[in-house]
Amino acid sequence: MAEAGRSPWQEAWAVFRRNRAALIGLSLLGAMAVVLVLGPLLYPVDPFDIVGAPMTPPGDAEAPLGTDYLGRDILAGLVRGGRPTVLVGFCAAMITTVIGITIGSLSGYYGRATDRVLGRVVEFFQVLPALLFAMVLITLFAPSLVTVIVAIGVVAWPGMARLTRAEFLRIRQLDFVRSARAVGASDARIILATILPNALPPIIVSATLATGTAILFEAGLSFLGLTDPNVMSWGLMIGSSRNYLREAWWAVTFPGFCIFLTVLGISLVGDGLNDAFNPRLRQR
Amino acid sequence: MRILLLLVAAGFAAVANAQSVLVWGTTQVPRHFNPAVQSGIATMMPGAQIFASPLRFDEKWQPQPYLADSWSFQDDGKSLLLKLVPNAKFHDGKPVTAEDVAFSIMTAKANHPFQSMLAAVERVETPSERIAVVRMSQPHPAILLALTPPFLPVLPKHIYGDGADPRNHARNTNPVGSGAYRFAEYKPGEHLILEKNKDYFIPGRPHFDRIIFKYFKDANALSLAIERKEIHFTPFWGELAMIPRFEKTPGIAVTQKGGEAIGPINWLAINTKKKPFDDVRVRKAIAYAIDRDFIVKKLHGGRTQAAIGPIAPASPFYNPAVEAYKVDIARANKLLDEAGLKPGAGGVRHALTVDFIPGNREMHQNIAEYLKPQLKKIGFEVTVRAAPDFPTWAKRVGGHEFDLTTDSVFNWGDPVIGVHRTYLSSNIRQGVIWSNTQSYANPKVDELLSRAGIERDADKRKALYQDFQKIVVDEVPIVYLNLLPYYTIHDATLKNLPQTIWGACAPVDEMRR
Amino acid sequence: MAYLAIVLRRLAQAAGLLVAVTVLNFTLIHLAPGDIVSTIVGEMGGASEETIAELRRAYGVDRGYLEQLAIYLGRVAGGDLGTSIYYNKAVFSLILDRIPATVLLVLTALVIALVVGTTLGVLAARYPGGWFAACVNLVSLFGFSAPVFWSGLMLLLLLASAIPILPPGGFYDVVAGAQGLAKALDIAHHLVLPATTLALIFLALYSRLARASMLEVLGSDYVRTARAKGVPERVVVVKHALRNALLPVVTVAGLQFSAMLAGAVLVETVFTWPGLGQLAFESILRRDNQLILGILLLSAVLVTLGNLITDILYRIVDPRIKTDG
Repeated sequence: MAEAGRSPWQEAWAVFRRNRAALIGLSLLGAMAVVLVLGPLLYPVDPFDIVGAPMTPPGDAEAPLGTDYLGRDILAGLVRGGRPTVLVGFCAAMITTVIGITIGSLSGYYGRATDRVLGRVVEFFQVLPALLFAMVLITLFAPSLVTVIVAIGVVAWPGMARLTRAEFLRIRQLDFVRSARAVGASDARIILATILPNALPPIIVSATLATGTAILFEAGLSFLGLTDPNVMSWGLMIGSSRNYLREAWWAVTFPGFCIFLTVLGISLVGDGLNDAFNPRLRQR
Repeated sequence: MRILLLLVAAGFAAVANAQSVLVWGTTQVPRHFNPAVQSGIATMMPGAQIFASPLRFDEKWQPQPYLADSWSFQDDGKSLLLKLVPNAKFHDGKPVTAEDVAFSIMTAKANHPFQSMLAAVERVETPSERIAVVRMSQPHPAILLALTPPFLPVLPKHIYGDGADPRNHARNTNPVGSGAYRFAEYKPGEHLILEKNKDYFIPGRPHFDRIIFKYFKDANALSLAIERKEIHFTPFWGELAMIPRFEKTPGIAVTQKGGEAIGPINWLAINTKKKPFDDVRVRKAIAYAIDRDFIVKKLHGGRTQAAIGPIAPASPFYNPAVEAYKVDIARANKLLDEAGLKPGAGGVRHALTVDFIPGNREMHQNIAEYLKPQLKKIGFEVTVRAAPDFPTWAKRVGGHEFDLTTDSVFNWGDPVIGVHRTYLSSNIRQGVIWSNTQSYANPKVDELLSRAGIERDADKRKALYQDFQKIVVDEVPIVYLNLLPYYTIHDATLKNLPQTIWGACAPVDEMRR
Repeated sequence: MAYLAIVLRRLAQAAGLLVAVTVLNFTLIHLAPGDIVSTIVGEMGGASEETIAELRRAYGVDRGYLEQLAIYLGRVAGGDLGTSIYYNKAVFSLILDRIPATVLLVLTALVIALVVGTTLGVLAARYPGGWFAACVNLVSLFGFSAPVFWSGLMLLLLLASAIPILPPGGFYDVVAGAQGLAKALDIAHHLVLPATTLALIFLALYSRLARASMLEVLGSDYVRTARAKGVPERVVVVKHALRNALLPVVTVAGLQFSAMLAGAVLVETVFTWPGLGQLAFESILRRDNQLILGILLLSAVLVTLGNLITDILYRIVDPRIKTDG
C-alpha cells in the first residue's frame, strides 16, 4: 500500500534509491556524462589529428592511452567518441519508443481489426533479421549517422510495440478508464492522458534498455565497416582498429571497455527502475 | 581427455604428412579457377597450378619454355610460331594439342577483361598437332607476357569448347588442365584441395602430394594459423602491422621476392573533368601537399616502396628521372593562389570528397583519412566518403562522380596490358572502372603509347615509355603513392619458392621442403 | 479440431507475411547502388562497356524492376530459389551447405545460454540477496553489456593466442583430414569459442528472466499453498515453480532466433565460422540478390516456424492461456 501523501513516482524513487546496483549504474552514467560534456573542453585534442607514431602503447607523453594505426590519440577518441555513440543510442531508442508506443497503443486500445492489422505489421518487422536488414538500409542510403540511427530505430521497435500493447490491453479494462469513456472523453485524450501515463513504467524501463541495445547495435555496424568514417565514435574506433588487435590491443580494448561501462550503467539503471516500479504493481 | 588425444593424433598425422602436403593460406577468395576469363590474384594462384601455359618467365624478365619448348617471331614480328612439347596431357588423359592452344588464345581474347592484351591477335593457325602460329594485325611485343600462366591457361577444347559461355562455365569450379596439380575438391569460401599430377609433362615435378588452399575472411585468424604452423605458405600478405611478429617467430621466414611484374601501384586518382581539378596547378598543389615519405615510413612502417610514376620500379621500362613532388606545403599554397583558388571563411579554399575502396584499410581507408588533416594545411576541407561495399564505390568511380579517390591498379608485366588503359583518351568510358576514369586526355601521350605498343626494338620502346612517364607525372592526373606490399610468409624449410616475376601467380612445381 | 483450424490459419498468415517480406527485401536491394555485375567486373579486373552490357543481359539484371520481381516471385512459388550469380550455384544448395554450421552454432549457443543461464537464475532466486546472486548478476550483465564481437576478440586473444588451447577459427581442420568421430570432435573443438561468445549475450537475458519469473512464482499463492500443505521444498521448486517459471524463458528464446542470427553474423566474422550469417553479409555487399533474398526468406521462415512452435508449446504447457485470435 502506498504511504499516505506519496505519489507512485516518489515511491518508486524511494525503492530505486535503496537499490545498490542501480545506484552504481547511475553513478557510472553520471561519470560518463561528465566525461562527455566536460572532456572535450579539458582535453581539446582532435581525435583525427595525427599526434605521434602509429601504434604507440599507452603511457606515452603525447598520448596517454596510446595511438591507433594512423597515429591518432586514443584518449582524444574516447573523450570525443562518446557523444556520437550516446547520441546514436539515444536517438535510435527514441525512434524505437515512438514507433513502438504508437503502434502498440493503437493496437491495445482499439483491439479487434486494428489489432490484427497492426499485429501483422509487428510480426513483419519481427521476422526481418535486424542486423541484415539494417545493413541493407545502410547500403542503400550510404553510411551516415542519420542513416544508422534510422536503420537501428526501424528494426528495433517490435519489442516496444508488444509491451505497450500488453499494457494497454490490461489498463483498458480498469475502472477509471471505463469511467473516462462513460464521461465521453475522446479516444485521443484517453490514450494520451489517461492510459499512457499509467503504462509508462514498463515503457520507461524498456526505453532505457533499448538505448543500451542501440549503442551495441551501432558498435556492431561499425565493426562491420558500415558507419560514417568522418565521425569518431567508440564503435568506429573498434571497427577501424580491428585488424590491429594483436599489435595494438589498446586501440580496441579501451573503446570496447567504454561501451561496456556505458551499457552496463544503462542496464543497471534499467534493472533498478524495473524493480522500483514492480513492487508497486505487484501490490495492486 | 578425448580432445587431448585427438590433438596428439592430429599432431602425428601432421608430422607424417608434413613432407607431402602444402597448406597455402590466403584471404583472396576466388569465384572460380579459370584465369582465361578473369583477372585477379585470387584466380591466378590456383589457376597457375591447375593449368599450364605456352610460356613462363624467370626472375630476369626472360621467357622460358613451358608447354611450348621453342618459339620464334616471324613476318616482321606479326606472327609468333609456338612449338609444343610432345608429351603433355590433360588431367583426363587426352593430349594437349595446338588446337587447344588456339582455342585458349581465342577464348581469352574474347572474354578476358584485359582487351589490350590480345586485341592484336587475328587468328591462330594450327598447321600441325604441335605447331601453333599466332597471327597478329601488327607487331605486338606484349604477346610473350600474354601467353603466361596468369593470363593464358591452356584449356582443353574438348571440355570448354562445348558452346557454353566460358565466363560461367560449369567446369570453371572443377577444372581440367595440364598443370602440375589437378583439381580434387572445392568448398566455396573454405578450402580448395589439389592433388599431384602424376603425369605432369615435366619429369621429376611436382614435389608435394597435395596442396590445400585454405581461405580466411579475417587477417587475424590467418595470422594466428600461420604462427601455429598450420599454414606453410602465404603469398601476397599485405597486413603490414603483423610482419614484425612473423619475423620474430622461429621457423617462419618472410620475403618480398617474387611477383615483380605485377606492379601493384596504389595511387590517388583525380577527376580532371571536375573544377577546380581541371587546372594542372591545383593537381600539382595536391601532389606537393601529400607527404609520400610519411605514408611509406610512418603509415606503412617503412615496409612499402614509394611509387613515383605510372610504371613500377621493377619494370625494364621504369624511368626514375621524373618530378618527385617532395612535400612542400608552401609551394602547394602558392600554386593554389596562382590558380585563383582563394581561401574563404576559416581559410577554406575548397571542399572536396575523397573516396576509397572498402576492404584494405592500410592502403585505402587509412590514406583517405590521412588526407583529412593533411589537405587541411592547404585549405581543402576533406570529407571522407565511405562506400559500404565495392559495387557502391565502383558505381561512383565508374560513373565519374568523384573528386579524389584512392585506387590500386596493376601494371601486369607489359605496359600494354595494365598501363595503357589508364591514360589513353580512347579509354574514357562511362560505367567502367579501371579505365581512364580520370578523363585524362593528351594526344602526345596517346601517340607515345600506340607507338610503344608496336615497337619491337627494346631500346626504342624504352625511350618511348620514358617520355610517357615524364609527361604523365608532370601533368598529375594521378598522385602516385606506393606499391602494394606483397610479402610471402612461409615455412623456413620450404625451398624453390616461386620467385619469378609472376611470384605465386606462376606454377610452384619446383617448390619442396 | 479447433487446434488444426488455428494452425492452418496461422500458416496462411505466415505465408502472406513471407511474401510481403520478400517483396520488401527485393525492392530495397534493387534500389541499392551498383549491382552484382559491378562486383564481378571488379574481381575480373575491369571490363569493357560491351562486356558489362553483355553480362547484365546474361544475368537478367538489365530488365525492369517489376519484371525482375515477377520473375523472382514466380520462381519461388514454384520452389526454385534461383541461382547465385557470384558463386554460379543454386541458392538452395549454397544455403544447404551453410545451414549445418549456423544451426550448430546457434543451437549450441542457445543450449548453453538456456541451461547455464536458467540454472544460475534459479539458484539466484533460491538464495536471493547474497553474494552469489550479486555475482550471477555481474557475470550476466557483462555478457549483455559488452559488444559481442569485442568479447569474441578478447576470448580469442586469451584462449587462442595467449594460451593457445583452442583453434583461432574455422569449422574443422581440413589438413588433418579426420573422419567420423574424430571429425565430430574436431568440429566440437572449433565450436567452443564461437558458441560461448554467442551464448554470453543471451546468458544474461535468460538468467535474469529465470530469476525474475522464479521469484514471482515462488511468492505466488499457488506455491504458498503447496508449502503450507507440507510439500517438500525441492518438490515445490522443481515440480511447481520451475515449470511455470520457464514459460517466459521459452517464449523469449523462441523469439530470439532472429536476434541470434544477427549475433551469429558478428561471431561468424570473428571466428571465420562458415555459416549463413557470414554468407548473407557478404552477399549484401556483393549485391548477389537471389542469394540474399534466399537467406532472408529462409530466416523469415525459421522465425515464423519458431513463433508457431513456441505458440503451440505455450498452449500445451499452460492450457489456461486464452487466445485472442
